[in-house]
Amino acid sequence: MSLLTVEHLTMRFGGLVAVDDVGFSAEEGRITALIGPNGAGKTTVFNCLTGFYKPDTGRLALRADGREHMLERLDDFRVASEAKVARTFQNIRIFPQMSVLENLMVAQHNRLMRASGYTLLGLVGAGRFRAAERAAVERAVYWLDRVGLTDRADIDAGTLPYGGQRRLEIARAMCTEPVLLCLDEPAAGLNPRESGELNDLLTFIKAVHRIGILLIEHDMNVVMEISDRIVVLDHGRKISEGPPDFVRNDPAVIRAYLGEEEHEGG
Amino acid sequence: MAAGTLAERGRAFLPMALKEAGIAAGIALLLALPLVGAKTVSEGSAFVVTPRIVELAIGVVLVFAGRLAIASLRGGHHIPVVAAALALAALGWLFALPSAFLGVVTIAGGLAVACIGAIGLLRARRDRIPAAARIDSARLPRQALAWLGPALIALAILLPFLPFADRRVMDIAILVLTYVMLGWGLNIVVGLAGLLDLGYVAFYAVGAYSYALIARDFGLDFWSCLPLAGVFAAFFGIILGFPVLRLRGDYLAIVTLGFGEMIRIILLNWYNFTGGPDGISGVPRPTFFGLPFKRAPPEGVESFHQFFGIDYASIHRTYFLYFLVLALALITNAFTLRIRRLPIGRAWEALREDEIACRSLGINPTNTKLTAFAIGAMFGGFAGSFFATRQGFISPESFTFIESAIILAIVVLGGMGSQIGVVLAALVLIGLPEFFRELQEYRMLAFGACMVLITVWRPRGLLATRDPMIRLSRRRAPP
Ligand SMILES: Nc1ncnc2c1ncn2[C@@H]1O[C@H](COP(=O)(O)OP(=O)(O)O)[C@@H](O)[C@H]1O
Ligand SMILES: [Mg+2]
Repeated sequence: MSLLTVEHLTMRFGGLVAVDDVGFSAEEGRITALIGPNGAGKTTVFNCLTGFYKPDTGRLALRADGREHMLERLDDFRVASEAKVARTFQNIRIFPQMSVLENLMVAQHNRLMRASGYTLLGLVGAGRFRAAERAAVERAVYWLDRVGLTDRADIDAGTLPYGGQRRLEIARAMCTEPVLLCLDEPAAGLNPRESGELNDLLTFIKAVHRIGILLIEHDMNVVMEISDRIVVLDHGRKISEGPPDFVRNDPAVIRAYLGEEEHEGG
Repeated sequence: MAAGTLAERGRAFLPMALKEAGIAAGIALLLALPLVGAKTVSEGSAFVVTPRIVELAIGVVLVFAGRLAIASLRGGHHIPVVAAALALAALGWLFALPSAFLGVVTIAGGLAVACIGAIGLLRARRDRIPAAARIDSARLPRQALAWLGPALIALAILLPFLPFADRRVMDIAILVLTYVMLGWGLNIVVGLAGLLDLGYVAFYAVGAYSYALIARDFGLDFWSCLPLAGVFAAFFGIILGFPVLRLRGDYLAIVTLGFGEMIRIILLNWYNFTGGPDGISGVPRPTFFGLPFKRAPPEGVESFHQFFGIDYASIHRTYFLYFLVLALALITNAFTLRIRRLPIGRAWEALREDEIACRSLGINPTNTKLTAFAIGAMFGGFAGSFFATRQGFISPESFTFIESAIILAIVVLGGMGSQIGVVLAALVLIGLPEFFRELQEYRMLAFGACMVLITVWRPRGLLATRDPMIRLSRRRAPP
């Protein structure tokens, strides 16, 4: 059974149908890529999944640990805290004036809140809370090591270079211990070396942590290299779905992308 | 920079500077002629216009000198400008000018120019030192801050024992500390959680009235009422917060402003309960854990001076009030510093930075904001009870919008979220104008001038540096 099942997802903005009756699924331990030209509706799908938009119609079911969550019914923060879906943003959203480590501690808020007895135990400095905090720092360091930011842990996140901020955002999402990680154009603005490192990181997360990854990506080469399955959107509609080799040669996909290039060229 | 160009600039600058100063003086003359140059005096039944040549002339000369000084500083002539400015300030101090205002302008202006010049001089000197030998200017303030806090606390504790600490100084100190406490309370809401609250005075009022009313109707003393006042204020914070915390930025500011006024108007109109505009008098004064500060205590009650076997002095109560508000303020501070290290405090700061990101991490924004609002309100309530017990009389007049604005100014000008910044801003904004009270109407001018100067020099607040509350480096590699 799939980790995430999306059925008949439709989202309108006034007269514009941004996502039109889209369905797909994502599996545990697999990278599912969501591709398509600009304005195809990829980010809108993410916003519906993570509760930031309420879709007009559609069923978004997430099954993990024997429980099923209907994502379309949950508030945005419940999608993260209860259904354990984490995401990053197309325009990076870190906490710029907090340190890199603090960014990762905020991501573990709910766990630490419980350990701090909703602040009361924390105020008196209870041992249980201090142990939980140490564990949280360890988890943060684990991810800092993975994304290569350990020696920057104490500087303001806003002073990191662009690529570092992108990696921090992924580390922060991973610190929530998600079952599904949604990445919105994580390679945008990265140089080829950084982009390669990102591929390694995603492959590592998939192999070692066995969670599902939903990946929006523009760069076809990146997508073809690391995804297990690709869903192609164009003008809000799903025009193709399948393994990379199939999608690469699908005439509908070629048409959509050629059309875009002609359009951009002219 | 080549030495030749520097010398050239030096020669060319004088006519330029004189021209600039001349234009400024001309504009000043035009503006001041109708405003300062003439004065209407009532002589019997008629108004007579008398010219004020001297004032006008001195004013214009001051503008000329000031502009010349600024131009000279730009030209790199620091030392003569600093000397001249100090001399001018001394002149203003020693010789009586035709009006107090001109005196203030001369002294303050002279000192300000001297300070700018001295800072410029230091900068110029420092630039000549090789970079490696230079003190790390970013770290210097942090190092200074590390001892500034404890030093201020020590000073605050010692203050009543210093020779110049008379009644007036102590009263000003109590006032400043009340605002420090209010500033620290509001800092939780505005500085940490980033919620622009323009009605903080409402919680101050709730605290003051809770104490006064509970004491009046149930006869409880200050120490039992204090926590109750905090609870009531926090409760009001939650009641207000629940509907409005969905709003953002400007909208939240407007609604909180309205709430502040609402509370004041309710207090004003609910005559039977609150005494309306007459207020509540005879609010019980604080006791030293049960010992009243009275010359002649009622039958069977021992008073403070009798218990300690000292002579009665009314200033004992002032000292006690001072230490009381100092303790309350320090508790607020300790609480804030502690809670900033806890997940809830971190979540407040994260919410201030980016609410959408917080939601994506599973943080419930409404609950988190609500706790900030309630805790900030609670400290406002504590401060309110203190205010009531200190004054012995409260009325709605003490809780107008201007109070909210002043507290907010203290937080913003102190540097959002900075604890010591609040202290410095309260000293500058509340303490200085109080010391200038003799200048009467110019006092508010001093308040305004302080605000303008701070916003110009430190647009992000006096102390805008923020240190992370949790560090990795110390854990991994102890220094
Ligand atoms: N909040 C919104 N309000 C109105 N229109 C929107 C909104 N969000 C997205 N859209 C529109 O929906 C379409 C799909 O946008 P988006 O999902 O961001 O595309 P993609 O991420 O694939 O580039 C675009 O035409 C965009 O203008
Ligand atoms: Mg997008």
